[in-house]
Amino acid sequence: MTKLHLVRRTGNTLLRRIICYLAAIAISMGIGAILLLSLGINPLDYYSDMLTVGLIGNKYAYKSVEGFLKVFVPLLMVSMALALSFKMRFWNIGGEGEFLIGAMCAAAIAYRCDGMPGPVVLILMCLAAMISSGLVGLAVAFLKCRFNTNETLVTLMMNYIVLYAVKYIGETKAPWNFFLREDSERPLFAKFPDNAIMPGIMIGRFNLLYSVVISVILTVIIYIYLKYTKQGYEIAVVGDSINTARYAGMKVNGIILRTMFISAALIGLAGAFSASASATVSPSMTNNAGWTGIVVAWLSKLSIPGILVAAFLISLLQYGCLAASLSYPEIDQNFADLMQGMILFAVLMSDFLVTFKIVRRKETES
Amino acid sequence: MADEPYAIELRGICKTFGSIKANRNINLTLKKGEILALLGENGSGKTTLMNMLSGIYTPDAGSVFINGAKVTISSPEDSAKLGIGMVHQHFKLVENFSCADNIWIGARDKGFLLKKDRYKIIEDMASEFGFEIDPRKLVSMMSVSEKQTLEILKVLYYGASVIILDEPTAVLTVQETRKLFDVLRRMKESGHSVIIITHKLNEVMEISDRVAVLRKGEYIDTVVTSETTEKKLTELMVGRKIELNINRPAPNKTKPLLEIRNLTVLNDEGSVAVDDLRFYIRGGEILGVAGIAGSGQKELCEAIAGLRHVERGKIIHKGRNIAGLPPKTIFEAGIAFSFIPEDRLGMGLAPNMSIVDNVILKKYKYGTSPFVDRKSGRVEAEDIVKRYEVVTTSVDAPVRQMSGGNVQKVLLGREINASPNVLITAYPVRGLDINSSYLVYDTLNAQKAKGVGVLFVGEDLDVMMELCDKIMVMCHGRLMGVVRAVNTNKEELGLMMTGALDLVNAKEDKPAGIAVDSALTLEEWEREIEAEDKEVDKND
Amino acid sequence: MKKVISLIITAAIMAVSLFTFAGCGAKDGDNGQGDFIVGAIYINSQNDTSGYTYAHHKGLVKAMQDLGLDTTRHLKIVDNVEEDDMAVSNAIDLLAGQGCDIIFGISFGYINAMKEKSEEFSDIVFSHATGYMSNDTNFNNYFGRIYQARYLSGIAAGFKSLALGNNNIGYVSAWGTEYAETCSGINAFALGARSVNPDAVIHVKKISAWGDQEKERQAAEVLIDTYDCCVIGQHCDSAQPQLVAQEKGMFGCGYNSDMTSQAPNAHLTAPIWNWDVYYRYAIETAMNNPASQFVSTVGNYYGGLVEGMVDLTPLSANCEPGTDEAIRLAREAMVTGTWDVFSGSKLVFTVRGGNVEMSIVGDALLDNAGNEIVPAGGPSVDDGVIQGSMNYYLEGVIAE
Repeated sequence: MTKLHLVRRTGNTLLRRIICYLAAIAISMGIGAILLLSLGINPLDYYSDMLTVGLIGNKYAYKSVEGFLKVFVPLLMVSMALALSFKMRFWNIGGEGEFLIGAMCAAAIAYRCDGMPGPVVLILMCLAAMISSGLVGLAVAFLKCRFNTNETLVTLMMNYIVLYAVKYIGETKAPWNFFLREDSERPLFAKFPDNAIMPGIMIGRFNLLYSVVISVILTVIIYIYLKYTKQGYEIAVVGDSINTARYAGMKVNGIILRTMFISAALIGLAGAFSASASATVSPSMTNNAGWTGIVVAWLSKLSIPGILVAAFLISLLQYGCLAASLSYPEIDQNFADLMQGMILFAVLMSDFLVTFKIVRRKETES
Repeated sequence: MADEPYAIELRGICKTFGSIKANRNINLTLKKGEILALLGENGSGKTTLMNMLSGIYTPDAGSVFINGAKVTISSPEDSAKLGIGMVHQHFKLVENFSCADNIWIGARDKGFLLKKDRYKIIEDMASEFGFEIDPRKLVSMMSVSEKQTLEILKVLYYGASVIILDEPTAVLTVQETRKLFDVLRRMKESGHSVIIITHKLNEVMEISDRVAVLRKGEYIDTVVTSETTEKKLTELMVGRKIELNINRPAPNKTKPLLEIRNLTVLNDEGSVAVDDLRFYIRGGEILGVAGIAGSGQKELCEAIAGLRHVERGKIIHKGRNIAGLPPKTIFEAGIAFSFIPEDRLGMGLAPNMSIVDNVILKKYKYGTSPFVDRKSGRVEAEDIVKRYEVVTTSVDAPVRQMSGGNVQKVLLGREINASPNVLITAYPVRGLDINSSYLVYDTLNAQKAKGVGVLFVGEDLDVMMELCDKIMVMCHGRLMGVVRAVNTNKEELGLMMTGALDLVNAKEDKPAGIAVDSALTLEEWEREIEAEDKEVDKND
Repeated sequence: MKKVISLIITAAIMAVSLFTFAGCGAKDGDNGQGDFIVGAIYINSQNDTSGYTYAHHKGLVKAMQDLGLDTTRHLKIVDNVEEDDMAVSNAIDLLAGQGCDIIFGISFGYINAMKEKSEEFSDIVFSHATGYMSNDTNFNNYFGRIYQARYLSGIAAGFKSLALGNNNIGYVSAWGTEYAETCSGINAFALGARSVNPDAVIHVKKISAWGDQEKERQAAEVLIDTYDCCVIGQHCDSAQPQLVAQEKGMFGCGYNSDMTSQAPNAHLTAPIWNWDVYYRYAIETAMNNPASQFVSTVGNYYGGLVEGMVDLTPLSANCEPGTDEAIRLAREAMVTGTWDVFSGSKLVFTVRGGNVEMSIVGDALLDNAGNEIVPAGGPSVDDGVIQGSMNYYLEGVIAE
């Protein structure tokens, strides 16, 4: 009689983890290849298009890089911000809502501060986004500290409240609604004035937006913050054991409030960057970063370098699937989503297999 | 033996976790209707071995025979089907369920509906083995010993003929332990076999028929209890002779460092846990705190450390009332606090963080730099590891990966490294093996010699009587009296712990435990000390 | 250690990407000359089998086939693109990168992004359906005079209501006055119905979505049950209103495709689009001219019955006698240019002894509040009104 059972692996090497992930990606791409073949498409062509994000044979290759960064930067920032709160065992899943709040407040500044010098407007937009979104995070943390509410539910429901509020603003023509184009009968979010559009450094024709540079700098700062600062240390202790944190004389509620403010403010900033880079807002502008960010944060085990890698790969996948679907009339965006879903699912499965192994009981005669 | 097969026989069991060999070639036999004690130091592989019997782990090699037949145990269900039940150190109970429902949820063939008479069934079973338990009581309302009783009842209900108890007495009082042993004997009479894991040699001698000894993952020997002595067992266990007597240097008394006046503290549920308590600790002495588990020891410690709200009363440290001050201020005033809770990791340590990070826990905030100073933390961590012989792969390893004893050494080491003038330590040897325990005693004595006032909350009366200078006894949060360790005996302490003997007002001229005003001058103190010493001489 | 490895891997991946990027830069223009590539941005899936996107896709494919372009190689599509400037900009960047020479955007909300991008990519033609923006070189908008076909379907509805002796006609509309597209359709339908039955009233039920089967069904049910409507016109994606009409023994005019197959006992006729007419014209022009001359050649395109851009499906057997003849006459009036829908004169149909007679009567065009839009005998309203700013209902229309 042999039985299979699960055993937690010990002494996992990073190499094995990577091999497992690669195997998972290979398997899901194999399944995808069968689907592609059934649609009469050469999977190799499709995948090479996907992995090169449509860069090959591209008249405007720099545009593809810019497009990729537009997916990557918000995802990176949201994932890091979520990791901050997750590290504290505070389940902030309100990334979507906080992102939109940040974007909308930045937009309000952009629409209202026409005529001011660009840097001033941009800084004001970022501040407005961070403060507004941060205050929402603070409110959630306050409810948690004061009334012990379930932050998962609060932040989850908040996402929908914000989303529908943004939709309302976007679909309601009214004299008070300065978010909309005035010259359009139909409600449409207006374009930001030029001084509110994120500038960049021109490298040839490629425009490296300052928001990209700042997000990379922020990654380093957050890494250092979590790893080396006293506040980062406090977050780790609170996440590990609240009792121990109290014992060590930490003001636990203060730490939760502060960290949630930072976490939400960062997400708000991502929203402001995103709005400023695309010069407008919309209810779908989050590109699901608030949700995907949760996956990224967990896949990377809340480590900042891990988030950098995971966010990069997942953005590559998202953008690559979109780019690859272009050239094939049979493939629509839904198929691209399907591919993306399969690959993510396989990676999460392999994550399980990295943590556990299935073993067969060894029979040894004595 | 040839006529009757063993209830359990293990042959050549091996188990490896990563690079650690937890069990190497273990052979063990358990007769039907016997109580076998499994003895070994911390980390000697006792719990691992028993977890393999209960199906939580599967052995890498070796075979298990039950009643002479070879079996494979690959899950807890397999184990239960074979009639093996284990009572774990950490209870596995649903807090919001009643006693009966906790038993019911795990029962096989329980059918679809809850049976109305399930309370009756449990009650009958309890009385058969002599348990005292209310089947309707919620687990969250139960005391530790009740929870343990429930765990035992559970495995009996599931039809276990072999019951494994992992350090069952660690959380029990003397009286409760006695009760447990009665139950075990009754189980033995009814044909059950029992394996009991314990560190306490006196209990081994009292309850077991045979003793199996493990050392560092290896099987050493099995001896018949009646043919051995505590000394011999200790030798088997640690592999060398050790001094059994705890050293107690004469105290070098100074002014009371900490004086507790009319202290009242509430517990988490809001009822009075510490009731109008008053006592004092001098520098250079060890004051033991004895009492049945849950008599307010935890709340007292927390109140002193500033972790719990003080309802009424004063805590005077060096002439300053520290009641109500934040924990950080109290720590910085030199009051160190190490509390080993029942789960050993609940308070004072961050289990997923490294030794270095745990060592700096209380002083990470020092200095104006926004960064945590891990450099000095690392030096300190390495020093603690070396000085207290902490077994670990590295100071960067999470403390969760270390065995309980090593975790405690880190915790205590950290507190002592803060060079406190008052050291509050609760259950510092809880679950420690003998070697480690002595290391702790020596450490505490060293602190005492340095003039530190030590408050030692303990559970083993024998140890307290040998280690402490004075013993304060609490019962339901009330002071029952402070006695000199040399002048008392276990019976007197036991009576005080149960509230049968109250010494607070025994002497009319000088009520025990009332501190003299700590604002007295030095000369006056010296006179006080002389008077006390005279009293001791008189009693001797 | 882990960190170091992770960082190295990240750096490696990023470096590879950048090298690829650099390599591609060198290959610039590979795709430029020989092939003509068409790009399209769809609001729904290109694999749809009915509805708005389907109609466009079908037309585009047909036009390309007619012009001898291979749709597997020369057609690049980004679909399911929401009306979100960011998403549309990204889609355009992708299509531009793939060497598209002309990019069609089929949904109104793409307007901002297409305008922006037409300035950025001056070598690409941008053509936007249902919009109102354009420039003088490479960005135009296109649409059809669907209101002409709706007027014709209104005639069929008018005959039906006259025969049933019920003046209540219903109309399930995605939107109301906020879109000139829906608003002009409703008004044309009303004028058509009232040309036959002057007492007819059009009850409009707005569902606030281009396609939502459940809402479409509910709206049709309310129109029949509460407002006692006998014919249901529609401007929404599915055949639900027709199905409801059939279930309740009433009649209806569909949209976008011949819905007679879905509701054989109820359906009269449906206004439809022939997008291939424009696509053929636009692609052919773009192939033969530089992008900068596109607008000066094509202009803003607004084809109607004359061009065949819009049409009516064959009348079903449910239509009243005389419908056929009346529609033929009205169509002739519009095709020959003697008359158009939103002018200061109206068509009036009378049936005498089985013969349909049509007369053109000068009559002011009034909105449903009684304000005069076009004086009696005046010319048809400007195209811009129907494309962008018609935001009122005409006489005989009631918003419910």
